[in-house]
Amino acid sequence: MTPALQMTNVTKRYGAVVALEDVSLDVRPGEILGLCGENGAGKSTLMKCLSGSIYARDFDGEIALGGEVVRFGSTLEAERAGIEMIYQEVSLHLDLSIAENIYLGRMPTRGAGLIDWPAVYRGAREALAMVGLELNPRATVRGLSTSQQQMIAIARSVIRGPKILVLDEPTSALTATEADKLFKILHNLRDRGVACIYISHKMDEVFALCDRITVLRDGRFVATHKVADVATDQVIADMVGRQLDALYVHNAPMPGRELLRLEDIDVRHPTRADRLLVEGASLTLRAGEIVGLFGLVGAGRSELMSAVFDGSYRQTGRRQGRVFVRGDEVVIRSPADAINHQIAMLTEDRKVSGFVGTMNITRNITLAALNRVARGGVIDGGAERSLAHDLATRLSLKAAGLRASVLSLSGGNQQKVVLSKWLASEPQILILDEPTRGIDVGAKAEIYRLMSELANKGLGIILISSEMPELLAMSDRVVVLGEGRVQGTFDRAEITQDKLLQAASGQPGVAA
Amino acid sequence: MAQTEAAAGEPRGAKAALSRIFKAEELGILLVLIGLVVIVALIKPVFVSQANLINILRAAAFPFIIAIAMTYVFIGGQFDLSVGPIVALGGVASGMMVIHGGVPVPLAVIGTLILGAGIGFTSGFLVAVFAIPALIVTLGMLYAVRGVVLILTKGQPVYPLPPEFTIMGQGTLGPLPYPVVIGIVLAIFAHLVLKHTTYGRNVFAMGGNKETARLAGVRITRLTISVFMLTGMAAALAGMLSAARFSSATSNAGTGMELLVIASVIIGGTSLFGGAGSILGTAIGTLMMTVIKNAMVILRIDVYWQDLVVGIVIIAAVGLDQLRRRRVGL
Repeated sequence: MTPALQMTNVTKRYGAVVALEDVSLDVRPGEILGLCGENGAGKSTLMKCLSGSIYARDFDGEIALGGEVVRFGSTLEAERAGIEMIYQEVSLHLDLSIAENIYLGRMPTRGAGLIDWPAVYRGAREALAMVGLELNPRATVRGLSTSQQQMIAIARSVIRGPKILVLDEPTSALTATEADKLFKILHNLRDRGVACIYISHKMDEVFALCDRITVLRDGRFVATHKVADVATDQVIADMVGRQLDALYVHNAPMPGRELLRLEDIDVRHPTRADRLLVEGASLTLRAGEIVGLFGLVGAGRSELMSAVFDGSYRQTGRRQGRVFVRGDEVVIRSPADAINHQIAMLTEDRKVSGFVGTMNITRNITLAALNRVARGGVIDGGAERSLAHDLATRLSLKAAGLRASVLSLSGGNQQKVVLSKWLASEPQILILDEPTRGIDVGAKAEIYRLMSELANKGLGIILISSEMPELLAMSDRVVVLGEGRVQGTFDRAEITQDKLLQAASGQPGVAA
Repeated sequence: MAQTEAAAGEPRGAKAALSRIFKAEELGILLVLIGLVVIVALIKPVFVSQANLINILRAAAFPFIIAIAMTYVFIGGQFDLSVGPIVALGGVASGMMVIHGGVPVPLAVIGTLILGAGIGFTSGFLVAVFAIPALIVTLGMLYAVRGVVLILTKGQPVYPLPPEFTIMGQGTLGPLPYPVVIGIVLAIFAHLVLKHTTYGRNVFAMGGNKETARLAGVRITRLTISVFMLTGMAAALAGMLSAARFSSATSNAGTGMELLVIASVIIGGTSLFGGAGSILGTAIGTLMMTVIKNAMVILRIDVYWQDLVVGIVIIAAVGLDQLRRRRVGL
């Protein structure tokens, strides 16, 4: 049978960095292909080549749909050829209605450019029914939960009648019920002959849903397995390229004294003024401890810790949340206050809020610790260079000199620069938000090693992560956020993936 | 460790030094300036006479003093359109204090500087606290301050300024007029602060990535307000010096100064998007603008052509610089 999609020898370079090298895969009509790989393995890049967001002239290799070679010069061309993408990060227009979002860019008209609104609302109601949402199609998207938004994005793609549907971590924002609904929809599409590519870190989902699995690692094709013939361990070994035990290092020390205690913290909703995103969250962090913070996408993990770090927890207008550092209540008004209390926070997106692209490596490293290398406001150049040099050495930073632009570094080394910046401020409480996102396996292992080294030295670490294996392996305890509240706290011994997912979906597990 | 070797092995030697000069931010525009001076000097040798060179420096001094502060504003990722009327207000306010209020000159100077800082504080406060775009705030301030000047003066010049006042603009140190000396001293100071203090570093960080800077503990609100206070003070100072130079403060002084200053800073290679720039570049940029105008007078080019030529030169200078940057991979 002619494959619905055949990608052959796709190679993509960014300057000297090879993101994809000679990757091939095929999907047959009526098949769901799992696409697996660590962050940075090249899954997203490969899918960008397919979706037209990387133009055909910018990568080497060939893409054929139903045996016919295609060269997309835009995402629009890919959409016209029947390729639909569903991303982890929902991209809906918050102030447009549900119906408008579903039909955006291809509103049914009655000639003369007039929109056929009855048809729009009829279609939107059908789409909502398909994904099991009972909502008014005229309601704006802003008021919906993240998971409802994700279901609408799915509905939008499905009613366009794609030939090839790509789903990138679609369930990371969904509750268990919604995920089941999605799986039913996908089975339905498969029966109708649609070819699906399903990208996920969750092995149980991949094995339950897919017919075959293709694994990528470091931009290269590793293997394609039939699900029936392969075990989970084999796929994971293919992804990681080494034993998992070697990747994660964490020997749990005895937790010491309390470093940080949050009580009743509220967090404002980012898009709705009348709502709270997180309500009454409490947690405790002790010296030498790594506490994982888990939740579905949109649960407010990053927002909770940011609110504490930048002092915005004090501006919710309701209950007054309290923060205790080393047992004493403190008031944090700004990040500067947090830093003075020896708190550091590595944010999720290093480009947006981690490094300053116009500054060189040294200046990025010393940014949060300038007063340590300055006297009376005057920077001591020698002290600054040696501080940067020490940290770069400690984290094995690979760079063409510390005066080089931070933009010239690979993702993993950029992350090391941002980590160095925070370590330079000599924190006792280190908040790490997705610290290994988009970096290669080698750098990942080094960051894990550093984390346990820091914990052994008596720092307390809060680890926010969407990567279940990472969270399970590194955390001494996991606090789960769901439905705007802390749903439970799990000790290392009792943590399982199922328990965490259940709690995150709002079905309380062990009480906190 | 690979990095350690690399860090120790920064390029050295004559060849490396040469390559660093070629990569220097300010080089492209400096070459254009030198080329311009050489060509005009070949056509009209009087262009490089001492008298004319002093003329050029003195004309450049007033916008330069403001451009120094504007460099901070731009590097910090902000924008200030309001300096022209503050120049007029600086002259008028100090002149009125001295002539009508009998205030001693030093006090009047200090008072006027505080007034300029106050206007900058207001702009900065509106930008930083109420998150109104700097372009809008300072555009409003441009009109408002000019209005205040007209209300104060009813359009009449403020004169005669006493000699203790006019000496600020008319006195000389050796061959150099005081405004030039003041400009040079301020430039050196501003350069050192920008390169070697935490304040300067934080301005770069804020302009390069405000969110990263904020999370690294930089007090964004204060810092934003402070850079606007710098331009306010600098404009007020330039206004006093210019009034002193002409022995009279006029309500239309500083008209168009905001654009001249902004053009000078941009020609000097300071980024409109923040995070990059230098006082040296601004010095070259300001000289460039002044040299062009002066050269056209010396070459007896019709005065009506001046603005057209300036416009072309601005685009050409920045365009050439962009080309060079792309070629050396900056």
